[in-house]
Amino acid sequence: MLSPYGLDIVESCLTCKTRTERLFCDLPAAALQAFENIKYATAYPKGAVLFVEGQAPRGIFVLCKGRVKMSICATDGKTLIVKIAEPGEVLGLSAAVSGKPYELTAETIDPCQVNFIKREDFLRFLKDHSDACFKVAEQLSEKYNSACHEVRSLGLSHSAGEKLAKLLLEWSSKNGEAAKPEPRLRLALTHEEIAQMIGTSRETVTRLFADLKKRQIVQTKGSTLVIRNKAALKLIATNN
Amino acid sequence: MERAQTSCLECVERADRAFCDLPSDVLREFDGLKTVVSHPRGTVLFREGQPAREIFVMCGGRGRLSVCSEDGERLTLRVVGPGEILGLSAALAGGCHEMSAELLEDSSVAVIKRKDLLPFLQAHREACLQVVNLLSQDLHFAYDRVRAVGLGRVRRARIH
Repeated sequence: MLSPYGLDIVESCLTCKTRTERLFCDLPAAALQAFENIKYATAYPKGAVLFVEGQAPRGIFVLCKGRVKMSICATDGKTLIVKIAEPGEVLGLSAAVSGKPYELTAETIDPCQVNFIKREDFLRFLKDHSDACFKVAEQLSEKYNSACHEVRSLGLSHSAGEKLAKLLLEWSSKNGEAAKPEPRLRLALTHEEIAQMIGTSRETVTRLFADLKKRQIVQTKGSTLVIRNKAALKLIATNN
Repeated sequence: MERAQTSCLECVERADRAFCDLPSDVLREFDGLKTVVSHPRGTVLFREGQPAREIFVMCGGRGRLSVCSEDGERLTLRVVGPGEILGLSAALAGGCHEMSAELLEDSSVAVIKRKDLLPFLQAHREACLQVVNLLSQDLHFAYDRVRAVGLGRVRRARIH
């Protein structure tokens, strides 16, 4: 069986085992069959651009496997990563609904499986299936809440150190690590990409990590980061 | 806080407003779920961190959406006007409000409880589609704000 980019491709949503865990994909049978008929299952290598900020919306991209970097870019080339999309997320949703250009650029950071749906098919699908429409409203709500969170983080944090501490605490709160005294997280991004997430330079991120390690607040083992002193990191995050 | 009895079916502004322009049977049901309240300027409809139990449809007046830091510094997300729905994303996501909403003028606001809103949207595709459109617009505004705050630029004006 062909396996592009090492991905185990799920050809049909009807047989997908992870469907029930995902907000958008857990649709009633009729809606799922209709979705199955309009989707194109595609595989992308790492570094592929799904859509670019300012481009007219062609459709939506349901991320099945892998992760996608969602970013905005200034005319001087400065990039800000708004979020890292995870499997189950629908990308390009607000642009496809409103007909306005894509607000963000989507680039894969892992090999990805993506289900693409043409805009006109998607809009018809929403009109015909109220369950799907409700799920889209839920997805948009989550994206809106996340964007507001991003505005708060960027606009009201005073220093790059504070923003980095907040980001590490946010990452460490996932995958059941939140309650642990020394949570672990996988640093899947480069210092350059972390800098783009908090709106600073790569050099600053490298310096901040060196300082956190020196103060024994964090420790790195390969790509794993261990937060050894969560209380101290929280103090930095709250600018105290 | 003053309770105003205004029916959406008699509202002359309805056709110009994204959410309110619903078929008459859907609107009649919506009318039965909502309570219209007049609030004075300065009223806080909700604060960030509070659980979202209601949504607020602005019938008249203006409000401000803002986020706040731990030390009390406030950042305005945007100013909202008649026809806009406040607290929608938090009510749909089922969490707490990500922002605060404060009225900038004496305003009239229709309030709908979350427990009534969710079945209403699930039962009426037209209303759900309007909500999807409104949330898409909200998201565009939010990304514009991320861009302005994070990269220090405002998106060029678009020609539609």
